[in-house]
Amino acid sequence: MQLLIEQILNGLAMGSIYAIITLGLALVYGVMRILHVAHASVYTFGAYAGVFIFQATGSLALAFLGSMLLCAILGVLIERLVYFPLLKFPPYVPLIASIAVMLTIEELCRLIAGPQILTFSAKLPFPDLDVAGVHLSSTLIAIYVITAAILLLLWYLINRTELGLAMRATSQDMAIAGAQGINSHYIVSLTFVIGSAIAAIGGILVGIYYNQVYPTMGAVPAYKTLALIVVGGMGSVAGAVIAALMLGLAETLLIGYLNVPFPRDALAFVAMIGVLVWRSEGLLGSR
Amino acid sequence: MSSYAITILTLIVIQAIVVCGLNVIVGYAGQISLGHAAFFGIGAYSAALLSTRGGLSFWIALPLVLIISALTGLLLGLPSLRLKHDFLAITTIGINFIVQAIFLYVPFFGGALGISGIPRIQVFGEALKGAHFLYLCLFFLGVVMAICWLFTRVFAGLACFALREEEAAATSMGISPVRFKLLAFMLGTVFAGLGGALYAHYMRFVSADDFSFPLSVSFLAMLVLGGMGSLLGPLVGALILGALPELFRPLAEFRILFYALMLLLMIRFQPGGILGESSLIRKRLFPLFLRRQP
Amino acid sequence: MNPALLEVKDLSIHFGGLRAVDGVNFAVNRGEILGLLGPNGAGKTVTFNLISGVYKPTSGEIWFDGKRINGLPSYAIAALGLGRTFQIVKPFSTLTVLENVLVARGITRYPAPSCLWTSWKSRQEAQAAMALLDRVGLADLAQRKAGLLPLGNLRRLEIARALAVGHKLLLLDESFSGLRHEEISQLEALIRTIQQAGITVLLIEHNMRVSMALCDRIVVMEYGKKLAEGTPAVIQQDEQVIEAYLGRKGESDAS
Repeated sequence: MQLLIEQILNGLAMGSIYAIITLGLALVYGVMRILHVAHASVYTFGAYAGVFIFQATGSLALAFLGSMLLCAILGVLIERLVYFPLLKFPPYVPLIASIAVMLTIEELCRLIAGPQILTFSAKLPFPDLDVAGVHLSSTLIAIYVITAAILLLLWYLINRTELGLAMRATSQDMAIAGAQGINSHYIVSLTFVIGSAIAAIGGILVGIYYNQVYPTMGAVPAYKTLALIVVGGMGSVAGAVIAALMLGLAETLLIGYLNVPFPRDALAFVAMIGVLVWRSEGLLGSR
Repeated sequence: MSSYAITILTLIVIQAIVVCGLNVIVGYAGQISLGHAAFFGIGAYSAALLSTRGGLSFWIALPLVLIISALTGLLLGLPSLRLKHDFLAITTIGINFIVQAIFLYVPFFGGALGISGIPRIQVFGEALKGAHFLYLCLFFLGVVMAICWLFTRVFAGLACFALREEEAAATSMGISPVRFKLLAFMLGTVFAGLGGALYAHYMRFVSADDFSFPLSVSFLAMLVLGGMGSLLGPLVGALILGALPELFRPLAEFRILFYALMLLLMIRFQPGGILGESSLIRKRLFPLFLRRQP
Repeated sequence: MNPALLEVKDLSIHFGGLRAVDGVNFAVNRGEILGLLGPNGAGKTVTFNLISGVYKPTSGEIWFDGKRINGLPSYAIAALGLGRTFQIVKPFSTLTVLENVLVARGITRYPAPSCLWTSWKSRQEAQAAMALLDRVGLADLAQRKAGLLPLGNLRRLEIARALAVGHKLLLLDESFSGLRHEEISQLEALIRTIQQAGITVLLIEHNMRVSMALCDRIVVMEYGKKLAEGTPAVIQQDEQVIEAYLGRKGESDAS
């Protein structure tokens, strides 16, 4: 029973991390209709930036802030230099470009930091918890709290601010939003800033959670998150978050706890095909 | 030719065959597929299993391999009937991951060890290797390109073009989207299966890692750079992207970075393909050799 | 022989709560030009899409040349000799004008396996397609990419393609809209020659002058229902029609 609870807690943490990465993908897909696979390499880059700043300064807060800033810049560069000029081409063109960007960033990380696994042994500024015999590490608590805070802030931003309104308008139709006086290119760039900064947080959290940072850490999330935005309903941020949490739980429980002999990384896609057969617009999507 | 060059060329020709198949699906019929490595793998595993455990010779196994490829193409082409654009793209990525996972996890397919001991192809009682195997691959590439050329000239091919351009209009002209999309998927996967069979007999060993999603991406990148929908495009794309990593070999550890950067620059600045209608080569280089502008 | 080539019986389609077409009855007689009129949103294009099999009706029947066709897929209905154009033109943009017509000429080939080995690049095919292009006045643009044509030419290309398919019935969806004055009279003349060739025509038209002059009979729709049916002279006098449609002519012309 205790093992089950711990597995559920781990699954939720896994799901939270998937959610943090998927968020950016869903936001970008929403405003640009581009499958931003390279988002996962922004996340890798964020983890590296976090490690280096932390090693240089010893401050976790600085690591978070610096990494978020660097990732935001990287995200906007990708958007301005690669995606925006390719918008008028069929969707596979930006997709291939995105994969090339991902490979480039991964290689840069490998060449600069070396192919070996870096450790990220940061001490969080609060203790572990023991509730009713269940051990909650400070890292798990940090993941829950930070994910919840990001989700709340984002929900507020999208649904309660003028900026959010402009983002929603842009995701409906970039041209019409532009005609109504919304600077849609600015909104798109801002979406990349937000998504990429969140990815930096995700990268650092994963780095601390597993105490590992390595060049290909983005490879598996890169494609899994694609499945998640389909399951959630393309461009639906809420749907993507729910799908991410469910996947984290399902992976940990089915494969980690019940030992179902199934490849962990294919589960997302099997779930995706199941959902598509049942509801071709995804969980929270609209046709 | 050195045996090193022959190896590289053989792999390029095999990839060109596979990309010709992708061209039928994506270039002719306008259906996106990001899981073509899975069909390449299905062909390779069928050939590997039939020749090792089945004990069949390549020539007897080949028709079976092609039939298996066609049937799986038909089955996995079904999503293309319901899904469009990005949904289809992601679903085909999923198919790639799932097929690869099946190769890896089902003991029948050799698991993590893959399948080894695949015999060489025999022609007139002689085992083909080196340049002779390359000639065989070139022969098959010729056959595949001839079929592609014929396909663009018959009404079935025209129907695929029409579906690619405007599905509703095509349907109002008697073209059944189901029939012709599945036909394109089937033809495309048969070519991928053929390439897979050649690959299995060339490497004489297959494992799940050989058919991962990044390979699908490089197939699609070859097609896009070579020129989507054109006859020579797959060959040009396979040559460029197949030769690049070899040309960059002196760069040692910077090799992959340069490959990625080149791919990025090409797709960013020539998204219509190296030989596409608005490409630099066609605009600047062709007029030098051709008097008559088409 | 039944004088009606096309019969629409109690036809309805509902999209959620919206009754886009609601219990409509009419018949198109062999050899006539029937106009389908009505304000925007009356359900005219939806009716076309029901007849040509794009949508399946919620209830009702459609009979074409003695055969019940509702429930058949679009491509099967086309194969019976029913050609159509689209209000929003749908050219095969990267194909040439000639190739666009050749696609439509393949209508008899697509159902049979022979489409796998019959070439569309033969001389006879090209001649037959050129004859159709000649009829709509596009012969000199045959080798041009369809995506490069202006709207007027695209509307004619749509008609050429529909003619290749519809040897019995043509559905023309606002083929006159967006055309210049002289193009309109050319197109009127073309539709008359189509009728003389024995092809029945059902058309949706906003331009009152054109439809009154061209159509043998007119069916007026409003809010998914049939409002009136009769000769142009009768329709022009119909109180309900004047109220619903002619009275608001300025408004519909502006759209």
